[in-house]
Amino acid sequence: MKVDTVLRLKDVPGMLIKALEPISSHGGNVISVTHSREEKGLVSVHVSFKVQDQSSLNLIRRALEKQRIIISEMAIEGRTYITKKSLSFILVGHVIDTDIRDTIDRINEVGMVSGIEVVMPAPNQKSSVLMDVEIDEKSNGILLSLVEKICKEKEFLLVRSL
Amino acid sequence: MKTVKLIVVGFGTIGKGTLEVLRAKHRDLMEKQGCDVRVVAICEIDGTLVNGKGVNIDSVLKAAAAGKLRDHPDWKNMKSLQAIEEIEADIVLELTPGDIKTGEPGISHIKKALECGKHVVTSNKSPIALKFQELTALAEKKGLKLRYEATVGGAIPIINLYRDSLEINKVGSIYGILNGTSNYILTKMSEEDVSLETALKEAQELGIAERDPSYDINGTDTAVKLVILANSIMGKKISYKDISVKGIQDITPDAIELAGKHGFVIKLVGDVNGLEVSPRLVPLHHPLNVSGTLNAVMLDTDIAGTLTLIGHGAGKIQTASSVLADVIDIMKDMQDS
Ligand SMILES: NC(=O)c1ccc[n+]([C@@H]2O[C@H](COP(=O)([O-])OP(=O)(O)OC[C@H]3O[C@@H](n4cnc5c(N)ncnc54)[C@H](OP(=O)(O)O)[C@@H]3O)[C@@H](O)[C@H]2O)c1
Repeated sequence: MKVDTVLRLKDVPGMLIKALEPISSHGGNVISVTHSREEKGLVSVHVSFKVQDQSSLNLIRRALEKQRIIISEMAIEGRTYITKKSLSFILVGHVIDTDIRDTIDRINEVGMVSGIEVVMPAPNQKSSVLMDVEIDEKSNGILLSLVEKICKEKEFLLVRSL
Repeated sequence: MKTVKLIVVGFGTIGKGTLEVLRAKHRDLMEKQGCDVRVVAICEIDGTLVNGKGVNIDSVLKAAAAGKLRDHPDWKNMKSLQAIEEIEADIVLELTPGDIKTGEPGISHIKKALECGKHVVTSNKSPIALKFQELTALAEKKGLKLRYEATVGGAIPIINLYRDSLEINKVGSIYGILNGTSNYILTKMSEEDVSLETALKEAQELGIAERDPSYDINGTDTAVKLVILANSIMGKKISYKDISVKGIQDITPDAIELAGKHGFVIKLVGDVNGLEVSPRLVPLHHPLNVSGTLNAVMLDTDIAGTLTLIGHGAGKIQTASSVLADVIDIMKDMQDS
């Protein structure tokens, strides 16, 4: 079956090869690769390939996810299967001191934190943290309520995107 | 030519602005609308200017500017409710400040006017936000008009635009920037990298922010406007307590800078569908990224698609445009019937 994907890759050398490798190693036959540059240090690459069956495709997906490569869109035989989108938000508060690892881990259970930038004026002042999260379009609401819950718990101000 | 008589209740910024525009456009109104618009009473908190033939607008504005309104020959020791009841007029312009908790004195003024057979135009948010169903039902029962375009978005026609031009549409959502003071502060903070306190102080010095700007900054003012839009355009039956409100008080220059680095600005956005007022990341090139005191509103509709309206959300003269649009609309109806 024919699979069309859009992969979002970090704009660093070698990333594309790293992304194509799991496809061919699980029996996928790459038909075309086109890519367009984007902001924020990420590039979108359209990759089309043929694969034997669903189980091979699942192996490919898992391998890509393991490498933290974002599959932002996937269509099988022309039928859209998943669409991911990238959400950004800023947290203002004591984001570092309230276990930022825990914050990220909890968000990663719903989506995937793909970018993070911290501004910390002074140790005991509030910091501002911008996060980019890749998420299945369907899980948008779940992510939002999770982030709101974390913000309430840890007393952050949430500034989410429109 | 038909004479249309107005009672102006509340002679502050908007009351004076409305009279200035009436003075400038009196001839236009006669030629285009075929109406001779006269102001037969102007109510202040402690008395009323009364002149059955119409006050001399020029002399009243001059007296007000000199702080000598009470020395004007038309000044009477008459309270607003009495004036609304006793003075013969077609339309009452309710332009007083509204107490967000009680809606007074506006609610009493509007009810009195409708009960006495007078149409009402108001710029006062609180009565419309607090008593929408009751006041619109009363107006309908009496066969009178109650118009409130100036309560939301100042000069921007939103409510009238919907009524006159978009009624075939189902409005899916309305969201935008509905408070000029907070938008001015956020713009200053992002353009000049100053703290919220500094930006606010400057806004106060320029007369943009009021002495007590807490309702602008904590989102209350935006929330009240959402209530009006939700009830009047989207047919919801909601009140202030249904809205989740977060203001801009905790926004830091760091957060604004961080947003900027990633291609965003921070704006205080009111969202009717989400029943929410909150600071949001708005992409730099998004139509809602308007600067200074400007307001911007987007309507998502099923037929017309998305509409964006941008304009002055406040201001003496600009807001008078909406007040007088409502007046003209009522005048046209009066001529038809
Ligand atoms: N300013 C704007 O750009 C703008 C834009 C849109 C909507 N609005 C709304 O329009 C309304 C008027 O705004 P504004 O800026 O003109 O306010 P303002 O400058 O404070 O003027 C209000 C006037 O109403 C008078 N007043 C108060 N209580 C009264 C009463 N019981 N009877 C008669 N008069 C009374 C006040 O008198 P005293 O000064 O003696 O108290 C004052 O002269 C407000 O509801 C406001 O929210 C304003």
